[in-house]
Amino acid sequence: MNVELLLALVTGAALFGVGIYGALSQTNLVMIMMGVELILAAAMVNLVAFWRYLHPDAAAAQMFVLIVMTVMAIEMAVGFGVAIARFRARGSVEMEEAAELKG
Amino acid sequence: MSAQTFFIGFFGLAAVWFGVVVFRTHSMVRSALALLFSQTALGALFLSMQAEFLGVLQIMMMATEMSIMAIFMVMFMMDPGGLGEMDMTHQKRLSLAAGFVAFAAAVAAAVFVDWGPVAGVAPDAAQQTHDLGIELLGRSMLIFETAGVTILTAMIAATAVAMPAVKRIGNK
Repeated sequence: MNVELLLALVTGAALFGVGIYGALSQTNLVMIMMGVELILAAAMVNLVAFWRYLHPDAAAAQMFVLIVMTVMAIEMAVGFGVAIARFRARGSVEMEEAAELKG
Repeated sequence: MSAQTFFIGFFGLAAVWFGVVVFRTHSMVRSALALLFSQTALGALFLSMQAEFLGVLQIMMMATEMSIMAIFMVMFMMDPGGLGEMDMTHQKRLSLAAGFVAFAAAVAAAVFVDWGPVAGVAPDAAQQTHDLGIELLGRSMLIFETAGVTILTAMIAATAVAMPAVKRIGNK
């Protein structure tokens, strides 16, 4: 197996693991969003690695990276919108204080 | 070991290290900056893998995004400087286990899957940008346009959600 491809995939795997840890362990909404950003970053690393080492002539792989970047931007915009609304309503973005969202 | 292998390993390690720092520091500003460095290292990693356009785009986009995130961190946090060393985590063991299992599963997939023949050379930067442009404005036009409309919708939705409730009631 190609060493560069393996290095890139392991980097993606590590970022994915760190992102999962962050998204599950943090109590603050903004910190949870940071974990999700790392998970999406891991997806981007894998896509670029697959493009470069498996299908360098397929521009569709690069297009998917742009789509993941779009998802990151959307996640930030909506996340901060929710954070502002929550902060206005309760004065905090701590998710442990948002148990009423369970219904 | 080729220079490309070294730089992919180096920037990959930097991206993961700064990713870990995001959740280890008590200072929220440092967290945002660590995420910025992590994403910038990823941009450099893309450049090392000869994806010039995506690498530069990643660095430019994340520099802006993380700067905004740092401002929000300062606004929202009770202790943005981290001087009080507040613990803002829960279910640590479960999260660690989930993170480790996800990492192990992804590494196992990376190692044991037969990825097929590896391509030797990538197109040069100008050719890549040309091909991406043709892809975006040709076969993938619908996906690209949908992404654009979705961003616009998200911006409007985020603004609507963030508006004070009093104004919304007043408009009815």
